[in-house]
Amino acid sequence: MSALVTLEHVGMHFAVRPDHESGKHTVFEGINLILDEGDRLGIVGRNGAGKSTLLRIMAKIYAPASGTVTWAPGVTVSLLSLGLGFKNDLTGRDNAYLAGLLQGLTKHDAKQGLAAIEDFCELGDYFDEPVKTYSAGMRARLGFATALLNNASVLLIDEVLSVGDKNFRERARESLHQRMCERQACVLVSHADTYIQSVCSKTMNLEAGALIPCDTP
Amino acid sequence: MNAMATLSLKADAQRYFFGYLWWVLEPLLWVGVFYLVFEILLGTGRTDFLVFLAVGKLTFIWFSKTVSQSANSLLANRGLIGKMDAPKWLFPLAICHEGFYKQLAVFALLIVLLLFKAYTPSVVWLWLVPLAVTQYLLIVGCGMLAALLVCVKRDFQLLVQLGMVFLLFVSGIFWDVDSIGNATLRENLLLVNPMASLIDLYRTVLMEGSAPLPTQWLTVLVESVVILAFTVWAYRALHYWIARRVVTQ
Repeated sequence: MSALVTLEHVGMHFAVRPDHESGKHTVFEGINLILDEGDRLGIVGRNGAGKSTLLRIMAKIYAPASGTVTWAPGVTVSLLSLGLGFKNDLTGRDNAYLAGLLQGLTKHDAKQGLAAIEDFCELGDYFDEPVKTYSAGMRARLGFATALLNNASVLLIDEVLSVGDKNFRERARESLHQRMCERQACVLVSHADTYIQSVCSKTMNLEAGALIPCDTP
Repeated sequence: MNAMATLSLKADAQRYFFGYLWWVLEPLLWVGVFYLVFEILLGTGRTDFLVFLAVGKLTFIWFSKTVSQSANSLLANRGLIGKMDAPKWLFPLAICHEGFYKQLAVFALLIVLLLFKAYTPSVVWLWLVPLAVTQYLLIVGCGMLAALLVCVKRDFQLLVQLGMVFLLFVSGIFWDVDSIGNATLRENLLLVNPMASLIDLYRTVLMEGSAPLPTQWLTVLVESVVILAFTVWAYRALHYWIARRVVTQ
């Protein structure tokens, strides 16, 4: 097995008050992690432990405040989260198309993926209505479906399994499991510990600023 | 970036009853308001004031509106910035691109107005292309800079708006920069305010039918490129900082 992403002594802190650089809150420090090919890593931890921040560092969105992160040559990383990544005035279809382009798909591939997204998120005629008219659940469903639109070799998944009704959640888990199997490696962050343990090859707990291995399932 | 701009234009048009017509209707209304105040109420004494005003106002609106909208572009896209490692300049640049498409329609309107007012088209009008390209570079540079400053401190949002009002008064939109008696003061104004210089150049080309002074045009071009180069450097240097700042604000 070869390392796809390597974190060495990684630390991160934020200003306590972003508008006044008066102090800092250390989220975590000294994190060491090697993500190998074939890994299905689950990360659990309480709210505010820094799970999303850690994923953002691995996704090249944030630079760590200390330590180094190394990505193997040719490795592409994508963060799958349900954040507000939509433009409210655009329709669900246009947002899905834009999301595809922003995730590195060609225009052709992004257009090709629209039918599958429309079918998966079950928005009906609302798919062609502006996103600002959507309920929170509808936005989340569209968010989940569009987030899967990429061909990255490493998939970082941040709390995406609380989407929609029970039926949709089942389908989302099924789809997510299938995508995880297609990728070289995955990191999954979730509060659903039992789900993480059922799909991940190893689980770690981000607690008190450190990453601690949990018992193997 | 182009897809972001065109989809946004489509959504913008669908939002209003008059749709795409607003691209020319809004600038026209601005010209109408200024004409009412400065010509009908105050009386400028210029026979060509409508065209003089239209050339100044229609090119200035392109600058002021695009830069003001770009200023908020990074914060407005915090959802996307927090989800993917996209180049941050993409967001203000998409706004600038959107403004460019709208301005093409405004330039067409300006040409129609010039023809309607019996101005004779000449080969000199082709200078409109390099002048518009120069203004686009200036807009992109200033738009990106404004977005970055707003990212540093939200207060810049207010300062950018105030700055646009200030520029409206000092760019010779409804008055002629040549009316400044002190030649040194006039030269300094054109040097420190590229928009005043550009508006003067547009008038030279479209109203006087003369080629612009190369030194005057090159000065604006160099200023625009320098601003743009500085902001591109800043965006590259602050790539990760911008993401943190935008997401945590």
